[in-house]
Amino acid sequence: MRNPVDHLMERWARDMARRVSRRRFLGGLGALLFGAATVPLLPVARGETPRPAAGGAADPGDPQTCEYWRHCAIDGFLCSCCGGSVQSCPPGTEASAVTWVGTCHNPGDGHDYIVSYNDCCGKTECGRCLCNRNEDDKPLYMPFKSNDYNWCVGSKVGIAYHCSTARIVGVAK
Amino acid sequence: MKRALAGALLALGLARAALAQLPLEPGGVAQLPAQPGVHWVWVNDFSFFALPDGKAFLVDGDSGRMLGLLSTGYSFDALVVPHSGGVIYSPETYFSRGTRGTRTDVVTIYDTVHLAPLGEVKIPPKRASIMAMMAGQVLTDDERFLLIYNYTPAQSVTVVDTRARKFVGEIDTAGCALVYPTGPRSFFSLCGDGSLLVVTLNDQGRAASRTRTKELFDGLRDPLTEKGVRAGDTWLFASFEGTMHPLKITRGGGIEAQDTWPLFSAPELAQHWRTGGLQHLALHAATGRLYAIVHRGGAETHKDPGADVWVWDLASHRKVQQISARNKVASIQVTQDARPLLFGCSFESNRLDVYDVASGHYLRSVEGLGITPGLLVTP
Amino acid sequence: MSARAPGAAAALLAAAATCVAAPPALTPKPQADYMLNCQGCHLPDGTGAAGKVPSLRTSLAPLLQSEAGRRYLVQVPGAAQSALSDAELAQVLNWMVRTLSARPPPQFREFTPQEVMRYRATPLVAVRAARVRLLGTAP
Repeated sequence: MRNPVDHLMERWARDMARRVSRRRFLGGLGALLFGAATVPLLPVARGETPRPAAGGAADPGDPQTCEYWRHCAIDGFLCSCCGGSVQSCPPGTEASAVTWVGTCHNPGDGHDYIVSYNDCCGKTECGRCLCNRNEDDKPLYMPFKSNDYNWCVGSKVGIAYHCSTARIVGVAK
Repeated sequence: MKRALAGALLALGLARAALAQLPLEPGGVAQLPAQPGVHWVWVNDFSFFALPDGKAFLVDGDSGRMLGLLSTGYSFDALVVPHSGGVIYSPETYFSRGTRGTRTDVVTIYDTVHLAPLGEVKIPPKRASIMAMMAGQVLTDDERFLLIYNYTPAQSVTVVDTRARKFVGEIDTAGCALVYPTGPRSFFSLCGDGSLLVVTLNDQGRAASRTRTKELFDGLRDPLTEKGVRAGDTWLFASFEGTMHPLKITRGGGIEAQDTWPLFSAPELAQHWRTGGLQHLALHAATGRLYAIVHRGGAETHKDPGADVWVWDLASHRKVQQISARNKVASIQVTQDARPLLFGCSFESNRLDVYDVASGHYLRSVEGLGITPGLLVTP
Repeated sequence: MSARAPGAAAALLAAAATCVAAPPALTPKPQADYMLNCQGCHLPDGTGAAGKVPSLRTSLAPLLQSEAGRRYLVQVPGAAQSALSDAELAQVLNWMVRTLSARPPPQFREFTPQEVMRYRATPLVAVRAARVRLLGTAP
């Protein structure tokens, strides 16, 4: 008779492994689990009022999937799956102002947007919707282009990393 | 009737007692031999889904058995295992309330026989919280000083005197990342402009000199990965596009770039072969062989795991072997004995795969090794 | 159908066309360059993070008062090692001084690509020490 704890751990580990695996699978899984439901927007730290994401043809794709265009260089868990959104942190977490900023191509309107990957900090990892894409990512010795740093390092609450947002802050092209 | 029954029962009891072979057990705690096995490996779990619970598993590659574990705190990178043996150094981070509260960073010193803490050295709460890198924490060549990369985002290096078990100081390394030892009192860091920062230490572990080399690589066009390996007096780094950059240590702990050489032939490059993974290079010193995880993919896949490990002879730069991995791997390590094993793991599963190097044959897997096994360290 | 309907329909169509077709305003290049190379740590308004990342709001103007300070602004690794050309870096620095300084200096001699190139040729190693010397404190 197997130890029930072993059995649980093994199943958990396998579930984890499935969730960590390839983007394509993850994307499919995301669609299955979450459908196209929109996530309610939550206030960003420092009292900024978030404008709703455009959605539709100009902002195509599902923010709860790894393939979503803004996630072109994200590394972490998608806040959209964790009670936040692409531009807001889940309740009780702190948006780390210090982060790294990249550029992603939006197939919806053909423009390159400047995307700020602010992390949400102060709790253990959300653990859902892991996504690691490395378009134009550079090694640790170029911090301003590296997603391998835990960017919660700049938050007041500390390095406990929960999830990552992908917020549009500018238009490059 | 009752007496007969009682007699029968008694006889049964005595018979059962006579049949019982197993002795009673007092219990105890296992301990390890003083010398590590040549086919042992530490599987460092950076635990990406549960960052507060970093840990390292000690595994015997021959038997496939887990030998023990160290529990190593928040955003764990890897253990530092000195060749001199006896102890293991582990830079660790803890919060007073798990994921919040006061942050304390320490170097815990574990003994290798009991895998229990002997003590700890408090260090500035600044150690870099990064994707696991071997170059986040290293010993100087004489193993006297432990060097730890800090990122707050200001960049610096913490120096710990392992003999005195004290924090010595912090060295400002602004603009440069990670630590690569080059001697008993020297190391370099990789800088954002493609140069290296060469640092020498005095006997107390304080910076004696800091100099920048000229630009040795192009960080924008074909960056070096941070995941270098050291072959004697030469550090070897693969660039994103598979160019090997040998950096030779000169007298006094300086560094000198040698001619680069390509890992891949033109046809292979045309097919987009490249290195990828978290710890994608390994060396077998005695035979002078370089092992690399490879796969086919675009430039943005430079961190992706691969299903193949190719082997090059360092003297001739020729590829000499191709090992087809049963499962994709993101980290590899090779034992240094005459019949080496190749270990491989991936953060996409929690299994360690073991291969015989000479034949390239898959031997066995060890399951259930944490959440996201990352760096492999042989003791 | 009333006589007004076609006109109203046309107006609606025109309005709809405007809503769908308006392209996003491009972020001005110096600001976009600041975003991609500097904003991650120094923040959109240049305030940085106390004790960790210097505030550009308070440090730019004092540094501009000396040759050594101007040199520091180019040589500091975040600037010198950015992905910007000398000309682009000069423009970003000038934009920062004008836009992010709490008190922009009244007479500001703009950085030129040549000046940037000259300072950038020598990497600054003892960054922290240089800052303490110039501003009296570490970040």
